[in-house]
Amino acid sequence: MKAAAAVPKWLGRALAIVLLVIVGSTVLVRFAPGYLSDAREMDSRYADAARAELSHEAARSRSLPRMLVSEMGGWLRGDAGLSRQYGVPVFELIRPRLAVTGGLMVRSIALAWALAILAALVSSAGRNPAAIWQAPSTLLLAIPTAAMATICLLANSGGPVLVMALLLSARDFKFLHRALRKAWLEPHVLQARAQGMKTWRILRFHLLPSLTAQLAALATLSIVTALSALVPVEVIFNVPGLGQLAWNAAMNRDLPVLLAITIIMALAVTCSGIAPQRADEWRNA
Amino acid sequence: MKINRSIAALLFGLALIASAVVLAPGASYSRQERDATFAAASRQHMAGTDELGRDRLVRVSAAFLLSLAGAIMASALTTAAAAGVGTLAAFGPASVGWLAMLVCDVFLALPWLFLLMMVRSALPLTTSPANSAAITFLVLAALGWPACARAVYRGALHLKSAEWMLHARASGLRSAQIVRHAIPNFFPLLLPQFLVCIPAFVIAEANLGALGLGVGEPLPSWGGMLLELDNSAMLMQTRWVYFPVALLIVVLLLLDAIAVEVE
Repeated sequence: MKAAAAVPKWLGRALAIVLLVIVGSTVLVRFAPGYLSDAREMDSRYADAARAELSHEAARSRSLPRMLVSEMGGWLRGDAGLSRQYGVPVFELIRPRLAVTGGLMVRSIALAWALAILAALVSSAGRNPAAIWQAPSTLLLAIPTAAMATICLLANSGGPVLVMALLLSARDFKFLHRALRKAWLEPHVLQARAQGMKTWRILRFHLLPSLTAQLAALATLSIVTALSALVPVEVIFNVPGLGQLAWNAAMNRDLPVLLAITIIMALAVTCSGIAPQRADEWRNA
Repeated sequence: MKINRSIAALLFGLALIASAVVLAPGASYSRQERDATFAAASRQHMAGTDELGRDRLVRVSAAFLLSLAGAIMASALTTAAAAGVGTLAAFGPASVGWLAMLVCDVFLALPWLFLLMMVRSALPLTTSPANSAAITFLVLAALGWPACARAVYRGALHLKSAEWMLHARASGLRSAQIVRHAIPNFFPLLLPQFLVCIPAFVIAEANLGALGLGVGEPLPSWGGMLLELDNSAMLMQTRWVYFPVALLIVVLLLLDAIAVEVE
């Protein structure tokens, strides 16, 4: 009952966060020093009159309240505004790419979890020094995503899923290894092992239930990490997803597109953060 | 602790060597020798030259120093901001704490790279390379504080309910006196945050630069050098193109090792 009553509170908080993200991002973009400058103004092919018109057009969108109303209006209409670069509704650009990015993220996270859980189970249960298992993950985390993606591309081995999965599994492994190492040393688990209980039964009935909350938190962390890795991976492997669209928008100063993608990403992070908290509350209710 | 010191000494040694390379007479990270493009390693250019005939060793050294200095300064700013917000949220009225954590949640809901791209892409087209470097690290500092602030907030709450703190309050110590005693207890909390942020900022700058949105040319940066890997003509000519990536990984491993050791 208590858990159910907390639902509106959490939803309200999530909504407030998303609204603040929209307002904050719009304010940030509006007050960025070069917001009013347009790349086309430096193009000599444009006549003076056309360039003056571009400056005039930029000046018209100077007012912050008008920007906020227009941004909110775009979201309420369902088109998220108009792209500066292509002159089409932003959502038309985003819609076909959502499935591509979603598919890439799901496959990467699934592969990363499989790798990380397997490695963490073996490393935490074994007697080998932790450093042997941690060295590969530390090394993987020290390689910038862009460098890893470029090297994979040059070596002609591995694609976007593998690069993202390697990065995610390295981070997830560190988290899981620590949690499992601690869980294996719990008194009740030690007793179960001493009594000769089979490993898979210990895992199923003692370890996994106690790690549910931590695994849910890890799912959020995986999504956040995957979103951050998305841009370099999609750009370098030429995947037509949201990351590539965001990069393209950044290079061409198409701020409405960039703003819309940032808001979608914030929405994804907020929703993914709420799910584990809710699961944890229901479990403890 | 011995390992920590030797790693720090190694990093310091690398920084000294890089400084010596950059400050050597005649060394310049931007001087182009158009008749010596893609040159192999020689006595004159120990790591060869790039596509514009610029000395790769000098550029890598300058990129290392710039990135390290920028990341250290950004990390110091982030830690200071996190210390202020975290302490205020923990020791201030409950409403201030709630508001501060809501702001943290808003920042944490925004993936770094997208926000960085948004700010960088909105900069004037005529931004100078030095300004672009300063802005990149300032933006990193401005976006990095919420995660640290949350950690400081949790630590400060723990400190607030510590027995000695309750005892101090019960004994009638004034807030200023309590704060004076509390400050030294914050250092073990802030130092790991400061050290963890440095490699994170170095990686963020490298990723941003590799997308063409980092420090502007001709100023050298890790990200700019990663872009060289896209040049297949250069890859055919020399293997020294991989030198910046290799050094970057070594530096990040050293920074990470220091952070883990202190943590």
